[in-house]
Amino acid sequence: MKFIKRHISLIFPLVAILLGLEFFIVFDRTTDSYEKSLSSNYSIMVVANDEMSIDDFKELDNHILGVKELPKPKALDIIYNTKNKNLDIAIPNFYEIKLDNLLGIKALAKVKDNLLESKSIKRIETFRSTYKSQYELFTFIKFSFGTFIFFMSVIGFFLIVKQMEVWNFMHAQRMKVMEIFGASLFLRSKVLISMAVVDAIISSILTSSMFVSLQNMWISDTQMEILKEHVSDVFLFSDFFILLFASIVVVLIAVFLVVINVKAE
Amino acid sequence: MSNVITAKNLTLSYEEDGEVIKNATLTIKKGDFVFITGPSGSGKSTLLKSFYGNLQPKGGSLVIGGLDMIDIKKSKLQELRTHLGIVFQDYKLVNEWTVEKNVVLPLWISGYSEEVQSTQARRLLHHVKLSGKENKYPLELSGGEQQRVGVARALAKNPFLILADEPTGNLDEFSSNVIWDLMENACQQLDTTVVVVTHKIPMVFNIPYRHFTIDEKGSVYEVH
Repeated sequence: MKFIKRHISLIFPLVAILLGLEFFIVFDRTTDSYEKSLSSNYSIMVVANDEMSIDDFKELDNHILGVKELPKPKALDIIYNTKNKNLDIAIPNFYEIKLDNLLGIKALAKVKDNLLESKSIKRIETFRSTYKSQYELFTFIKFSFGTFIFFMSVIGFFLIVKQMEVWNFMHAQRMKVMEIFGASLFLRSKVLISMAVVDAIISSILTSSMFVSLQNMWISDTQMEILKEHVSDVFLFSDFFILLFASIVVVLIAVFLVVINVKAE
Repeated sequence: MSNVITAKNLTLSYEEDGEVIKNATLTIKKGDFVFITGPSGSGKSTLLKSFYGNLQPKGGSLVIGGLDMIDIKKSKLQELRTHLGIVFQDYKLVNEWTVEKNVVLPLWISGYSEEVQSTQARRLLHHVKLSGKENKYPLELSGGEQQRVGVARALAKNPFLILADEPTGNLDEFSSNVIWDLMENACQQLDTTVVVVTHKIPMVFNIPYRHFTIDEKGSVYEVH
């Protein structure tokens, strides 16, 4: 019981910090894929008098990733193919333009302005309202999640500071005595380091287990397509090592701060 | 005989109290048994603290075991402390450790094998009349017994210098006698230098000793 009590007081805040970190990693990975799919499904329609190549477009704006010429309407094709010289019809060219990433509303307007600088381009359709609602929803979710992760980490941080005070109370006497008898900083902190590293390992395993269960149980039943599509991105094996490294760094800093603040009497 | 402690015009002070020891000059040689007495608050414990490097001198010079204590490097201070035996009035034992682990602390710090530690612990606990209490915890012992553990710890590594701050201050006669006997023996048989800060020199003391006193103004004099 004493063992559990002693360890749980560090494991709890560590898990809170690691959950924050892993949520951040998973969210970043998932939203990155989602952002890419939003971006790849989005295109701008351009109507130009003259034929234009991808290089012509790229010269106008560097966010342009690809250009696809759209087939002209069939009726216009027929007229065009009659080669009736009396019909002085200038048939415009239609282009579908892909952008390199999911741009903000202002950046999108800037792309439009840049393209309109070309005298060949007659008209541009950015489908602004659909794009705007998708983009704003996406950035809102991203911001809300970021705020949640931030506060979770702050709470975890304060719990660690509290734990450092407890450590100071519990271990100061031993460390002071050891310092008087000439023990090095490492020897003085050995007990705390080993305890904290064990807690860091337990916390990393606990956090990883939570995400593995989330991946295998909850996500398969959810209706959230964004998660279902990227279920394999939710937890990668390498994440365990990131969590372990982060937790060990956090506990070692905490231990070091406790040990250097203990002064021999 | 070589000098173990050499202080010249030593001044010690605390930020909040100002100067406590003023211009103290004293030389303590190898094998000396020294008592430092003085009224409460005169700076006896402060002087002792400076001997184990827990208080930086504000002025003058202080050399302990050949090491200049002014601006001493941390690693050198650690090394010096592993060769000192220190006894405190409040024992300063580690309560979550057994008696044996407390006694062998200086040996453990210096990396001695567990076998050596165990043998030495048994020998010392026999000397301080605490055989059979190896696995007890300090809080299970009386004050006198705890102080004897503290003395056993101070002797564990055969230090060249024992510094004791009121070692028998709160103890019964039996424990006090055991402690004085041990210190006399260390001084006589091992040629260890012993410096004891105390209010009162014991009535019966079997070996020659030197006596310094500190007055209320923080001046140090040799009286005997």
